[in-house]
Amino acid sequence: MSVWNQLQKNSFLESSARQRANGIVDNGTFTELLGPRDRVSSPHLPVLGEAVAFDDGIVTGVGLIGKRPVFVISQEGRFIGGSVGEVGGGKMVATLKLAIGAYHQIKEKYPTSYQGRLPAVVISFETGGVRLHESNAGLLAHAEVMDQFQDARGKIPVISLIGSKIGCFGGMGFVGAATDLIIMSEQGRLGLTGPEVIEQEMGKDEFDASNKALVYRTTGGKHKYIMQDCNFLVEDSIEAFRTQLAEVLTLSMESIEEMRRVGSQKLVEEQLELVKLAVELDPRDSMDVWKYFGNESPAILPELSLTDFLKQAKRRVRKVEGGSVNG
Amino acid sequence: MDKETQRVWDSLNRDTQERMAKARTIVGTGKVISVDKTVALLEAIIKPGDKVNLEGNNQKQADFLADCLCKVDKNKVYDLHMIQSVLSLPSHLDVFEKGIAKKVDFSFSGPQAGRLAQLISDKKIELGAIHTYLELFGRYFIDLVPKVALIVAFQADKEGNLYTGFNTEDTPVIVEATKFKQGIVVAQVNEIVDKLPRIDIPADWVDFVVKSPSPFYIEPLFTRDPALITDSQVLRAMMAIKGIYAEYGVQRLNHGVGFDTAAIELLLPTYGEELGLKGKICSYFSLNPHPTMIPAIESGWVKSIHSFGGELGMEDYVRARPDVFFVGPDGSMRSNRAYSQMAGHYSLDMFIGGTLQIDKYGNSSTATASRVAGFGGAPNMGCDAKGRRHSTEAWLKCGQEYGMSHELVGNLPRGKRLVVQLQETFREKLAPGFVEELDAWKLAKNANLDIPPVMIYGDDLTHVVTEEGIAYLHKCSSLVERTAAIRAVAGYTEVGMLAKPEDTAALRKKGIVKTPEDLGIDISRANRSLLAAKNIRELVTWSKGLYNPPAKFRNW
Amino acid sequence: MALQQLKFEFKVNNPIEFSHEWRHHGVVGSGDLEILMEKKDLGGAVQVQVVTPVVGFDKVWGMVLEKIVKENRLGNISIEINDNNATPIVVSMRLRQALAEAAKDVRKEV
Repeated sequence: MSVWNQLQKNSFLESSARQRANGIVDNGTFTELLGPRDRVSSPHLPVLGEAVAFDDGIVTGVGLIGKRPVFVISQEGRFIGGSVGEVGGGKMVATLKLAIGAYHQIKEKYPTSYQGRLPAVVISFETGGVRLHESNAGLLAHAEVMDQFQDARGKIPVISLIGSKIGCFGGMGFVGAATDLIIMSEQGRLGLTGPEVIEQEMGKDEFDASNKALVYRTTGGKHKYIMQDCNFLVEDSIEAFRTQLAEVLTLSMESIEEMRRVGSQKLVEEQLELVKLAVELDPRDSMDVWKYFGNESPAILPELSLTDFLKQAKRRVRKVEGGSVNG
Repeated sequence: MDKETQRVWDSLNRDTQERMAKARTIVGTGKVISVDKTVALLEAIIKPGDKVNLEGNNQKQADFLADCLCKVDKNKVYDLHMIQSVLSLPSHLDVFEKGIAKKVDFSFSGPQAGRLAQLISDKKIELGAIHTYLELFGRYFIDLVPKVALIVAFQADKEGNLYTGFNTEDTPVIVEATKFKQGIVVAQVNEIVDKLPRIDIPADWVDFVVKSPSPFYIEPLFTRDPALITDSQVLRAMMAIKGIYAEYGVQRLNHGVGFDTAAIELLLPTYGEELGLKGKICSYFSLNPHPTMIPAIESGWVKSIHSFGGELGMEDYVRARPDVFFVGPDGSMRSNRAYSQMAGHYSLDMFIGGTLQIDKYGNSSTATASRVAGFGGAPNMGCDAKGRRHSTEAWLKCGQEYGMSHELVGNLPRGKRLVVQLQETFREKLAPGFVEELDAWKLAKNANLDIPPVMIYGDDLTHVVTEEGIAYLHKCSSLVERTAAIRAVAGYTEVGMLAKPEDTAALRKKGIVKTPEDLGIDISRANRSLLAAKNIRELVTWSKGLYNPPAKFRNW
Repeated sequence: MALQQLKFEFKVNNPIEFSHEWRHHGVVGSGDLEILMEKKDLGGAVQVQVVTPVVGFDKVWGMVLEKIVKENRLGNISIEINDNNATPIVVSMRLRQALAEAAKDVRKEV
């Protein structure tokens, strides 16, 4: 069995950034850009006596899914919590720029048959956000990535994969939310402030970060799926993520635009309604919200297998036109 | 003649009756007392200088009664001699700081180890002795008989019968020692019901019952999340399985608690299966219901497990596997630390666990210079039971290989328990696992102990497993040779650096030291993908949904 | 304290040529490291560069690396390691895994 075939069966949660990057595109098609051999590591960490990595904790490159070039950004949570600093941030921005550049080149080269050849960007998040050791550069990178999203919008899909150990938190929580479409596994987590920080600021009675079940009920894939904060929920394997990604890539740019959760006047209004609802409902636990959206026995939902969950779970009904498109 | 008729033969009982009469003026005639009278009750039944057993188990804690004891008037109750197996809650030491208790005899103090060392060195606690569980239980019936026992159970009925169920642990041994020497037994319970699932402690051994304001504290001590097992633990697990379990046909055993042994448990259905070992090893355990045992149990490896205590979340799983666990007529398991320790001492082929430090002679200790952690149960299993007379294949083979046997018993065949330490040469932050001198020496000095606390003595230790190799220490015929064998596997620690390559080569030739290569182990396979379950969720799946992990372990 | 940069050079008799242009292995996680191996004409020698936050383990690094080099009769190879507090066993295990994987890939290619 080839390495790629083995990778397909790998737990997405357990896989390194490089394994995810290699496995998420077609067999043997991944080319890493600014890989370890280029030795572009953080210039800031050595003076602080912190360990460095040849790739600065972010794997970037390009592969194919069918005929479409897929630009991959894959974050490594094991290296300083997947934090984004100057080099890693720069690699993210550059990858997005390359993808947008490729879009224009392909459209020019195949004026009549570019559909089905257009690039896509996929970001496999595993991060707590800005790297505090180089926070100015890190924050700037967040803004620049968002900026590139604006340029890419309507041209090429930018897709999030969230199913790694650290989850997607901090400033990168905003970045993830701002992508066109989010694929998660049950083990994935998406949020802004991490559980420990909430506990530290608000007290253990408000949020007990050691209660992992609570943490997952609040930020985990199943909750995000019910809330429509993520579009698709898949099994924890590279293959499952890749299959879902390949399926999504068959959709038109218009359908993909409809999957966005933020980024238009209407969507802002919808989000504001949710804020209003939260005040009225004053939920004590995510389960109160699940119940509100029609799940009669919310306590069983975390226990269900993915297949049963997808069959049984009632999701929040999206009000915005097209927003009802779901997995 | 007159003198003899005057001799009183039931002074203990008379003393108890006096105390009970005083108690009755406070709590009335019933057995069930109210929360607000509990402190006053303790003041009535406890006298200065009493030996008091406060039930602190490895897991369940009589926390409410411990708090009440801290609140008694120290002008009425003082100089108590506390006898308890585990010092685990802050209140267990508060009672000394407040001047209510003076002396302690105990077995294990995990979470309070640092504070205990400080209190001993400040002379706020007079230390009797640090025991193993079985040793302390033994003394309950000789010279440390409790006058008052403050115990804990899940449920009581109105008569005062108790249900201790899954987490029975130490309760029976404490109650029996106290009550049959005319002492007084007070139980805190989570609830009082009309009918108990079964009676673990009969009512006439219990004097008072109080429903505590909140359920007793219990810690899931034996749950190891497979997600945290490292590749080097997988490697040591592969080596242990191939080089020891398979080599000796180890059928009856105890696993210490830790990630190393969790890795072994999770490798049985994969690597163990591949080596064709099912049925040949690991059939009988003296062991808490470790969640990481689930895949091996489900794959048919395990015939029987008797447990010291329970484990939170394993109740339903254990209930559904009565062929494997010891389950009562009511359907729930009854753990029993005394019996399981006895089983562990006499009936095992092997004890395997981890430690903090091993010295060049093979003595090992979990003590550090500033923590009096105690022993718990490991030394009862991590030793050769001198009273053992029955024979098993693994025990006999180890005895036949024993290099010093002839020096000690001549030509008489005798077996030997396998006592195995799994040791990482360096732990996190590069703390060495092998040292020339144990920190236990420093602790003995700091805390005025008579002897350095040693968990397993070198003469009991038969095997050390590190990533460098396995040292079959029992095969050595002298202390010099043992030290050379320990150095050979001690890697780049101060102990290992002194290894002489020619000694190591000779030991490998003799089969006293085996490297992973000698064992035919492919190191590149040593990674987490070999684990039968890689996270808690997969354990739940293996258990067919019967394992119900505590919230802090649920990644979903 | 700035990062430490340690350099080592080893030479064995009759070294075996490394069968890849370059190989990368591992992740710089806590207690872990990454290894970059490159074929290089070094007159048969092995050059190793270690970048690590750990102070005072230079001698141990030297011993661990020398053992691996000898065991595998390495030569004409440059090895660069980014370390984050890996214990000596993790270091040698990762090196062995990297070499074993490289060897397996060659067998497959043949």
